[in-house]
Amino acid sequence: MRGRKTCPVCEAGVRFVDYKDERTLSRFVTERGKILPSRLSGMCARHQRQVATAVKRARIIALLPFVKGFTG
Amino acid sequence: MSRQYEIVYIFDSALDEGQVDERLAKFHALLQTPEHPEPVTATNHWGKRTLAYPIGRKETGYYVVVQFDAAADQLPEFERAIKLDESVLRHLVVLNEGVTTAAAVAAERDERDRDRERDRDAESDA
Repeated sequence: MRGRKTCPVCEAGVRFVDYKDERTLSRFVTERGKILPSRLSGMCARHQRQVATAVKRARIIALLPFVKGFTG
Repeated sequence: MSRQYEIVYIFDSALDEGQVDERLAKFHALLQTPEHPEPVTATNHWGKRTLAYPIGRKETGYYVVVQFDAAADQLPEFERAIKLDESVLRHLVVLNEGVTTAAAVAAERDERDRDRERDRDAESDA
């Protein structure tokens, strides 16, 4: 059995996840731009929810792609 | 009741700064009320950035982030005016739950540093 990974957002001591900070958010998406599941990212449930909302907002304002590497 | 909101505008990058300011002034005039003559609390011009994906045919946009106070019933009219303006490629209004003004962020960081120092002192005492 592996030990439970600790939440990277809790460890950083961040109070709010900012949807405008696309560099940090890009750590929590896959190569294709999908949101990483908490099973891979090790995030606690609260921060997983906050990151998911932030990624979705960042996509709306074109800071993150909906699908990376997709050319119409 | 007025609440704190944050809006991100993406303007057409063909506009210069003066034209952007002109449009911002026009939109923000809609938020003014007799009780609230100064609804905008912070404005932050990010300037020209490459979009993560093309919007329409445009690859770049001019970003502006604004924090403001408004009542919920003012927003539909405000957003309608923004949607009618074709030089705004996209906008996003969200409730401003966190502290995101530069001063507030600095204050929070100072507080964290102080906490850490205190913890260290407590440890060395023990």
